[in-house]
Amino acid sequence: MASRHNRLNGHDSAEFHQRFRLLLLIIVCTMAVLVVRMWHLQVIKGSELYQRSESNSMRNRTIRAVRGVILDTNRKVLVDNQAAFDILLYPQRAGNVQDVTNRFATLCTERSLSYPEEILQIRKTRSVEPLRIERNISREKLVLVEAHTLELPGMVSEVVPVRQYLQGEKMAHVIGYMGEISPEDLEKEGMRYASGDMVGKFGIERYLDASLRGTNGAENVVVNVVGKEVRILGRLSPIAGRNVVLTIDSVLQEAAWDALEGRPGSVVALDPRDGSVLAMVSSPAFDPNLFRGGISVRDWKKLSQDPAHPLENRAISGQYPPGSTYKLVVAAAALEEGLVTPDTSFHCNGSFTLGNRTFHCWQKHGHGRVSLHRAIVSSCDVYFYNLGKLLGVDKIAHYARAFGFGEATGIDLPREKGGIIPTREWKLARFKKPWQPGETISISIGQGFNTVTPLQLALAYGTLANGGTLWRPRIVRQIETIDGKVVQAFTPEKRGTLPISEKNRLLIRDALWGVVNEPGGTGGALRRKEADVAGKTGTAQVVGLPSAGKVRSFSTRFRDHALFVCFAPHDRPEIVVAVIAENAGHGGSAAAPVARKVIDAYFDQKNQAGKEQTVRQDSPSRSKPSLAAVKPDPARKEDP
Amino acid sequence: MKFDRRLLLNFDWKLFGMVLIICSIGVMNIYSTGFSLADARHTPLYMKQMQSMTIGILAMFIAFSVDYRFITRHAYIIYGISIALLIAVFFLGTAVKGSQRWINLVGFSFQPSELMKLTLILALSKYFDEHRLPQPYRLRELAIPFLIVFLPFFIILKQPDLGTALMLLILFVSLVFFVGVRLKSVLPAAAGILTLLPAAWFFLKDYQKQRLLTFLNPDEDPLGTGYHILQSMIAVGSGGFLGKGFLKGTQTQLKFLPEQQTDFIFSVFAEEWGFLGGLVLVLIFLALILWGVKIARHARDYAGMLIAFGITMLLFWEVFINIGMVLGLLPVVGIPLPFLSYGGSSLVVMMTAVGLLLNISVRRYILQF
Repeated sequence: MASRHNRLNGHDSAEFHQRFRLLLLIIVCTMAVLVVRMWHLQVIKGSELYQRSESNSMRNRTIRAVRGVILDTNRKVLVDNQAAFDILLYPQRAGNVQDVTNRFATLCTERSLSYPEEILQIRKTRSVEPLRIERNISREKLVLVEAHTLELPGMVSEVVPVRQYLQGEKMAHVIGYMGEISPEDLEKEGMRYASGDMVGKFGIERYLDASLRGTNGAENVVVNVVGKEVRILGRLSPIAGRNVVLTIDSVLQEAAWDALEGRPGSVVALDPRDGSVLAMVSSPAFDPNLFRGGISVRDWKKLSQDPAHPLENRAISGQYPPGSTYKLVVAAAALEEGLVTPDTSFHCNGSFTLGNRTFHCWQKHGHGRVSLHRAIVSSCDVYFYNLGKLLGVDKIAHYARAFGFGEATGIDLPREKGGIIPTREWKLARFKKPWQPGETISISIGQGFNTVTPLQLALAYGTLANGGTLWRPRIVRQIETIDGKVVQAFTPEKRGTLPISEKNRLLIRDALWGVVNEPGGTGGALRRKEADVAGKTGTAQVVGLPSAGKVRSFSTRFRDHALFVCFAPHDRPEIVVAVIAENAGHGGSAAAPVARKVIDAYFDQKNQAGKEQTVRQDSPSRSKPSLAAVKPDPARKEDP
Repeated sequence: MKFDRRLLLNFDWKLFGMVLIICSIGVMNIYSTGFSLADARHTPLYMKQMQSMTIGILAMFIAFSVDYRFITRHAYIIYGISIALLIAVFFLGTAVKGSQRWINLVGFSFQPSELMKLTLILALSKYFDEHRLPQPYRLRELAIPFLIVFLPFFIILKQPDLGTALMLLILFVSLVFFVGVRLKSVLPAAAGILTLLPAAWFFLKDYQKQRLLTFLNPDEDPLGTGYHILQSMIAVGSGGFLGKGFLKGTQTQLKFLPEQQTDFIFSVFAEEWGFLGGLVLVLIFLALILWGVKIARHARDYAGMLIAFGITMLLFWEVFINIGMVLGLLPVVGIPLPFLSYGGSSLVVMMTAVGLLLNISVRRYILQF
């Protein structure tokens, strides 16, 4: 049996000797190649690759600072924070990103949850930055993601605070809203923000974003391949954002909002003594809570393309012809220039002719012979046509500017507009045409090129009421740390003094009192027993005005804007209210009742506070704002 | 068959010792890969590997005690059984990651393609032993060996398991060169294959093409197919000279390394034990291989020499290709690292192969029965 096997003999050994030597050479050489390669990777490139292994597993995670809350003047919380969850996807740990998003979509569908369709478009990406798959997810989806971490590698949930706007639409324009930082802002602001950060986009949220946002902290964590944290190496605590206290009184704000009843328009209430804004309403409004998880494309389209412009803050960016409320300026100018005295009178037969043009008084039959006082009380147009003719456009403009018209007031809100106070020079520059005398006649009753914002209007009347000090309006009272220490107090700021003598000022003020309280006055709606009101109605024609909105609904778009501005009490004024109701008709009938409700609310609150003060001899308790980001305050229901 | 005292007397303790050392390193290493999982419901992988090792030692002693000439005599039958098992995989097998390689044998999941490597060596050795020529072989004289290798080659390619299929070819080529082949016949054939190679591109599966491309440039797509090789190189490199320490490899423990307990097991070792550890391991492998060469060289007969040579080559190529792949020198193909990669089939087959080496080693002293 053994003979069948080929025994090796000496000859064979010689033959194979060569081959074995070659074999040994090959083996030793290839193994040497492995060792050399190991040396190359581990010793020569060792520290570099060590760094890479570290960066594989180390994450610098930002800890978001809690955004400051916003309080009203009585320290009532207007904006709070709530905890929400976002889903992030770390592409590097997902392996195949598409697999993960598809699986996620399938899991969502199985539980009949919705998911953003866009995620299925996400292709392979080289980014090491996480992708924010979805913001503000539901609790069901949070459970889904947490329960399927192994099937969804790289997908993690992140706690993020979101804003809770307790006042909803009522204060939408003042407070504003937040949104994901735009690429342009990101480039501009550089270091302070990261891609995907939520920043204030409008209102106080935007204006004071730097104070509200605080400083993010960081945490150095070790993560495994699916992005799960294994341990924490180091931590830099975040610094909470500052709280902002507004001058707004939410009681007045609510009264003003309710009084407008959703009609387009604006209400501004301020304290003439220091220019503090007590209420600022713009209608129609939007619900800022729509923005908190990142607004949906559909909602955004609806808001931004709405012909009624709900996103615009009419109080500071709405530019309206002032109508008869402008007579304040014309009267002051004429008196101060010595062109008229209180006794000067003009005859009003219902119209006024200049050259070949005829200008009508709103009272077709005329007012008869009227002095300045009566002309203001009954809002006689012809009287003011005469004043305008005597003054000329540039004189009127001079006094208008003294009242703060024609330039932005400088309020601490973004996107304020300045309105237009025309002069000869302005028209030449703008239209390359000389000024027509007839245009001065229109200007003298607040028509024509004139435009003002509701805030300017309130401020101008406040200036007259307070003895002649033009304030920079103030909407932020102070900025505080999280534990109530004042960081920055916004003190009243004087912009100018009215160049009007006290005698003339009182003359006009009394006439404005007459508008409300004398027979034949156009503002009778404001007549009150206590804290008497002084004010002025206005009815601004819309037709033919260059600034008339092109998108008002057909039936109402040509109706006049109703205006009313007033202050109370007339001799020791504490509050000024300006109302503009768009396309609502006459100022006396459409705007004055709105102002009345705000004035009433102010004094009701004051009387109540006075009573309470006498009962309990202590100061009103200051409610501490809640900073815990989780407490869901039952959001107050809006008017249907 | 009566047990021969001389089997014990001349037992190759050094070979056995080296294999035991490598196997122990393997178990320890697999313990490290499963360290952070700590899932009590499953038997830990290192325990399973130890079970396989026990079975392997058993198989090794069987392979050692039966005279290898007896085994050689029945090589074709063993070959036939292996082929049958390979075909059975298609009908009874279980698929893992899209590849059907496993079959259940009396409660054990078994990979016949691993066995095929050893069986092929036996069958080819038998053929060359029986058809020994005084002069180098011509191509046409190699027709039957070609058949012997291509049958399992294609079956395994179909599974698909490119790594193992290639391994069969490599073993075949190694043996052919060893027994001697006329260069005049080989060169035209080699040239022909080289020209046909680009055509082979079209027969590769997409993932296989991708792997080749990735090998050429791993940084091109670090999150996709380049991921494996890149993470592996990071793991090895980050180990530095002394390593991060047992159970302290971040790439391993945090699961950045893919396939870490199987094909990429060497990166786990290199990360935790550094260049020094890797060098020691490579040197042990080298010693083992050189020992195998020595056994082949001193084998009593031609068949024994061929078998010992074949087994040594199997060991050598698997070590070289696997480590070369882990170090980014070679493209990613599924070839395990002998004794270290997790996997019962590979371990048992390799230990059986060692049993045969021991067998051949000891019987050179036994002149006759």
